[in-house]
Amino acid sequence: MYQYPNEYDVLVIGGGHAGCEAALAAAKTGAHTLLLSQSLDTIAQMSCNPSIGGIAKGQIVREIDALGGAMGLVTDSAAVHYHMLNTGKGPAVHSPRVQCDKKTYQFNFKHTLERQPNLDIMQDEAAQITTSDGAVTGVVTLRHTLYRAKTVVLTAGTFLAGTIHIGEEVFPGGRYNDMPSNELSKSLKALGLHIIRFKTGTPMRVNARGIDFSKFRLQPSDNPLQPISHFTDALQQSKRRFLSCYITRTTEETDKILRQNLNRSAMYSGKIHALGPRYCPSVEDKTKKFPDMKTHPLFLEPEGNNTEEFYIQGFSTSMPEEVQRALLKSVPGLENASITRPGYAIEYDFSDPMDLYPSLESKIVAGLFCAGQVNGTTGYEEAGGQGFVAGVNAARKTRGQEPFVLRRDEAYIGVLIDDLVTKGVNEPYRMFTSRAEYRILLRNDNADLRLCPHGFALGTLDLKYKHAFEKYQRQVELLKADPRHVIDETDMYPWTAQKVRFHVDVFQKYAGYYERNRKDAEKLAQAENIVIPEGFDPSAVKGILIESSQKLKTVRPRTLGQAARIPGVTPADIQLLAIHIERYRRLKHAQQHV
Amino acid sequence: MTTTICAPATAPGQSAVSLIRVSGLDSLALLHKVTAADKAFPPREQVFCRVYDGQTVLDTALVTYFPAPRSFTGEDVVEFALHGSAYIRGRLLEILCAAGAEPAKRGEFSYRAFLNGKMDLLEAQGLCDLISAGNKAAHDLALSSLDGRLSEKLSGVKNALAESLAQLEARLDDVDEEMPPLDTQQTRSQWLAQAEVLARLADTFSVGRLIKEGLKAAIVGAPNCGKSSLLNALVGFDRAIVSDQSGTTRDTVEETLDLEGQKIILTDTAGIREHALDPAEQEGMKRSLRAIEKADLVLFVADLTRELTPQEEALWEDVQKTNKPVVLVLNKTDCAPQGRCGLEGRAQYCVCVSCKNGEGLAELKKQILSFVSAPQMSAQDGVMISNLRQYQAVLDAQTEVESACVRLQSASGLELCAEHIRGALKALKELAGEVTPDDVLGIIFSKFCMGK
Repeated sequence: MYQYPNEYDVLVIGGGHAGCEAALAAAKTGAHTLLLSQSLDTIAQMSCNPSIGGIAKGQIVREIDALGGAMGLVTDSAAVHYHMLNTGKGPAVHSPRVQCDKKTYQFNFKHTLERQPNLDIMQDEAAQITTSDGAVTGVVTLRHTLYRAKTVVLTAGTFLAGTIHIGEEVFPGGRYNDMPSNELSKSLKALGLHIIRFKTGTPMRVNARGIDFSKFRLQPSDNPLQPISHFTDALQQSKRRFLSCYITRTTEETDKILRQNLNRSAMYSGKIHALGPRYCPSVEDKTKKFPDMKTHPLFLEPEGNNTEEFYIQGFSTSMPEEVQRALLKSVPGLENASITRPGYAIEYDFSDPMDLYPSLESKIVAGLFCAGQVNGTTGYEEAGGQGFVAGVNAARKTRGQEPFVLRRDEAYIGVLIDDLVTKGVNEPYRMFTSRAEYRILLRNDNADLRLCPHGFALGTLDLKYKHAFEKYQRQVELLKADPRHVIDETDMYPWTAQKVRFHVDVFQKYAGYYERNRKDAEKLAQAENIVIPEGFDPSAVKGILIESSQKLKTVRPRTLGQAARIPGVTPADIQLLAIHIERYRRLKHAQQHV
Repeated sequence: MTTTICAPATAPGQSAVSLIRVSGLDSLALLHKVTAADKAFPPREQVFCRVYDGQTVLDTALVTYFPAPRSFTGEDVVEFALHGSAYIRGRLLEILCAAGAEPAKRGEFSYRAFLNGKMDLLEAQGLCDLISAGNKAAHDLALSSLDGRLSEKLSGVKNALAESLAQLEARLDDVDEEMPPLDTQQTRSQWLAQAEVLARLADTFSVGRLIKEGLKAAIVGAPNCGKSSLLNALVGFDRAIVSDQSGTTRDTVEETLDLEGQKIILTDTAGIREHALDPAEQEGMKRSLRAIEKADLVLFVADLTRELTPQEEALWEDVQKTNKPVVLVLNKTDCAPQGRCGLEGRAQYCVCVSCKNGEGLAELKKQILSFVSAPQMSAQDGVMISNLRQYQAVLDAQTEVESACVRLQSASGLELCAEHIRGALKALKELAGEVTPDDVLGIIFSKFCMGK
């Protein structure tokens, strides 16, 4: 076995959306970082749909961007179509979505990583995580190279023991054409991680040559557009070449075909046992669950500038290939289109996120951080947000710094991670605005105000923006206080006077609700400040309900606030906990001062 | 602690003085607010001042301000020593809560005292026992079907609101914009119906209505059995016209009676008689029936000197149908001390009186008063609110639902409606159980075909 001479601070396994943000964030804070990926040609690959953002997800991209992550900037660099969703509703639920040229996206992200100081990239597959005394020491690869590392960030996506289903066909794969990481999955089980199985799916891709676009409703790119990154120039961006998306529906014929072949779908033939997401159902799922609905919407998205391939959102399926062809033929406009890649369902292993602290570090193996689909989530954006936090925290751990944890009133990323580690998952977790109790506070238009200060403090956001940002903050405050204030736009770029006005308008609209949310958020912050001391076992407190006690044992909350959010734990339980934490603290204090 | 809490510090029931304690950051501000005084309150000194309910004086009280940290809880504390009336005590708590205080949880003052280092570990043990007993009791209560009627009723409201929330959230998170727009009128009437359920429930709280507005007692009975005489005997002067001619009282007559500081509103109704030919009398009888509808308590007067008439028998049945508590008042014991009317066995409460010589009146007053502290009588289905915390929760939920209606009406955006429906569900959380975002998503995905 070859042992690589240097020891890394942070070693990231996997170069997907979580891994890329993790590696970048760790390196930016100064940690000596290595990114290991099976194949460098698939780094940051958009494995499923060709878009970034969407409802609630768009907000996450804005948050990653404000913290100094790369997802937003790379998205803008690869954008072929902008669409702000939900503009008919209130600004709290406006969500940007951007169609990307898939290849441009992945190559630009790879290039971003390559230019990052402190970050090494290596094409090799992790096979085993090595530990000593319950803490990670490094990673052994398929080539039998040992990379020593103080911390490891696991972002293996759907590659852990991945199995692909197309009708009756079953074969191993982490993604179509890519091999799964079976050795790594075994290694994780050996480390004592609780491994569970989920399934998800993807629709077929078709060649545009055979598509009759005149049969569809056209959705052109927004004009004017809003870049998804805070740091992209809107005017420059609007000079790009844009592509259109198309909207249509399945037909009653589609419905008939689905019904006739239901038992041939991998989902219903009994081949797949794992749980799939309710919100991302396959088209056969929709037919089965909603028999009254005879037709369903389809959304056609271009895969990029240099390809004729289209992604058909809404046609996710694990039907046999010939059924997929028949389904396609049943939709007017798609009769003559040929499938380039069939849709498929994929089953994969993930690790129970309740085994993680809010820092995303494992409670079982010290120094092991997990992010993305391995934690039971779905979505590029959810993965990127976790990746950023895991990367930052892995780096902070090597320097003995306190973990960086976002609260639920600060960011969707905070909601996401808190939900994962406190409540666990029973289906692939996707973000919705309805998951955020402080939805009014967590908006697209204020992600910068919420999170740029964190980005500067962490060292992940370029300090060259600091002065302009602080100017922007001041102008916002001045305009809030006095509606006649004349905005001074100098030295504020990339922020603009228009942005100040827009933000303040939204703020005024929600002013009363800010106050409501702020009060709740204060209580939250207070409970978040009461840290449950190391060595204190909350489940052993007398008087706590038995059910609560069991839940506390599983979750092992880090703060009183987290304990209070465990479903079923009562306010009285929390009072008792608070008293015993204080008691514990006093006893400890007394022991130290005998 | 960011919240300011309040609660009575003396046992409920009749006592000469009742003490209300307030603790938290806003204590002093609340004190200034309810005493309408800008004056300084010197620490730990009793100050005599008026306590206001809006513009009117609620009571005169001795108040003491204990600034942090030298107080029972270690926070700013204010204590009000009030006159011992259930109304004054309850009303002040309501006023404090309306101004931003929260009703204290069981043991919360001691809890704060402990966390602020005002209590040693041994004392804390007693506190833990208190909290865990409450924890278990609340848990058992929620599980028991017997006393779970309140939570059952609130569960109905909760489920309806959760369903509504799913309707809103589904539209907010709908990417394809597939959903039909929300039916505003239908949604609004659904919400108003839930607000109505909450309002009625809030009304069952004694401080809410009976004590504040007074207990309404309707006096009914056959013509000339002595209804007006009873009213006069209770009130103490000749207010209603009394004559031997039956049916003299054609208007309903209302009198307010003060029984030990409790307001009782007596309504004397027209004699209910068959074949009332006189149009004025018919009108009077309609009013009587309305008075019974509005009453919290019915005083059914019967004449001991004669047999019960079929009409009286029918009236008794009618009154029973209203499900209101009834006191059978057997009048004229002076003329017929051994008399019986035949209803005695069927009445839950029965008092013999003589309006002429005052015999039995004290007992009747006591009987009436007993209903004030038994507020379950005003809830038609027996479901009632029994403490200030529950009351506050139900009231908050009602306000939130009504605010949602306003937002819906003014088309301010579904996200704001959702904010209020979420607020209502949050208010009901402790009484009816939590509705998690996952529950809402569950409803959405079972009802709507959404997603890519």
